[in-house]
Amino acid sequence: MSFEWPWQYHFPPFFTLQPNVDTRQKQLAAWCSLVLSYCRHHKLYTLDVMEAQESPVFNNKKMERKLSVEAIQVVFEELRKKGNLEWLDKNKTRCLVMWRQPEEWGKLMYQWVSKNGMVNSVFTLYELSNGDDTHGEEFHGLEEWMLLRSLQALQTDGKAEIITMDDGKGVKFF
Amino acid sequence: MHRRGVGAGAIAKKKLAEAKYKERGTVLAEDQIVQMSKQLETFKSNLEEFASKHKQEIRKDPQFRVQFQEMCATIGVDPLASGKGFWSEMLGVGDFYYELGVQIIEVCLALKHRNGGLITLDELHQRVLKGRGKYVQDVSQDDLVRAIKKLKVMGNGFGMIPVGGSYLVQSVPAELNMDHTVVLQLAEKKGYVTVSEIRDGLKWEKERACHVLDHLLKEGLAWLDSQATGEAHYWLPALFSELTSRDVTPEEANQMTP
Repeated sequence: MSFEWPWQYHFPPFFTLQPNVDTRQKQLAAWCSLVLSYCRHHKLYTLDVMEAQESPVFNNKKMERKLSVEAIQVVFEELRKKGNLEWLDKNKTRCLVMWRQPEEWGKLMYQWVSKNGMVNSVFTLYELSNGDDTHGEEFHGLEEWMLLRSLQALQTDGKAEIITMDDGKGVKFF
Repeated sequence: MHRRGVGAGAIAKKKLAEAKYKERGTVLAEDQIVQMSKQLETFKSNLEEFASKHKQEIRKDPQFRVQFQEMCATIGVDPLASGKGFWSEMLGVGDFYYELGVQIIEVCLALKHRNGGLITLDELHQRVLKGRGKYVQDVSQDDLVRAIKKLKVMGNGFGMIPVGGSYLVQSVPAELNMDHTVVLQLAEKKGYVTVSEIRDGLKWEKERACHVLDHLLKEGLAWLDSQATGEAHYWLPALFSELTSRDVTPEEANQMTP
């Protein structure tokens, strides 16, 4: 299914950081929505600022408008404030994008585990994110950093325990 | 032989004649008034009979409504003037426009965050029709204009700005004077306007043009596009044709401020 762009994407001023405060608020809210839904659609978990500039999200080639680096930084800062983004480095060149929170991911995984009667089984992290059994599940292909956080969230809830095994980490669901 | 002309007698006679004419005039006027009253009574009861016969048509047929309204206008009657009474009770005309007014307000509120409170009559019409569903009465642009005029009178911040042969409906009490209106009209063709276009088209000084554009930005009616070739473009979401008829998404709904 192809990605559906919001109306703002085809509105030339959307790519200029608005001088009016109220309008800018609306604009940034729309940008945050757009970035998160784009990442969700393409299952992107990390973004590189330099690469982002050339990504279709921030660069509408057909309309010849693109968001400036400064503006992208402003959008990313908004996302960070909302808890949807984390910088991986001090220079703010790469970031983690959380279009779904760890707790939500944890819930999804636990649901799958209990639906299939696999409570009390042990899984390796790889099995969860890349195993044949989880093929088709939303959390299939989840990157390890997010997988771990999600399991940690479940752990805090007493629903799982992360185990260290010989060749890596695993998890037991309760 | 009498000589007609000046003299105390002639003057007195003249005065008496005038007095008699005046008296006659008063009598005439009273007569006329009684006659006119009778005529109006007849007219009114005919109109009532007409109205009750055609009540259904009034509610169902937009063309009929236009003609009915025009007819009322020629005799100086405004069926929407008061909520109660003959017109709304007998015909439901008041109800019809009241309900329409409510619908119009709903549509404008739902889109305010996008267009700053300015919407083309076309788009408003499209969305009102959509919201009414298949089985409800058809609504014309004339109906919308009348309902909006009513809303304006009630002081809801509504106004209509003539642009390009139709109207822009203003639903927020943003202060728009003649200068602003004229620039909006200029922007109607392409959905945006530039300082140069204002200077060339309206023969204004740069400062005056910038002042107006700044105001439109401030009111949230215009957005700035600084990546256009040449100079900055000022776009009006209300006039952005690709925007019309696009539904409000759940994300947008969450962004809306009351």
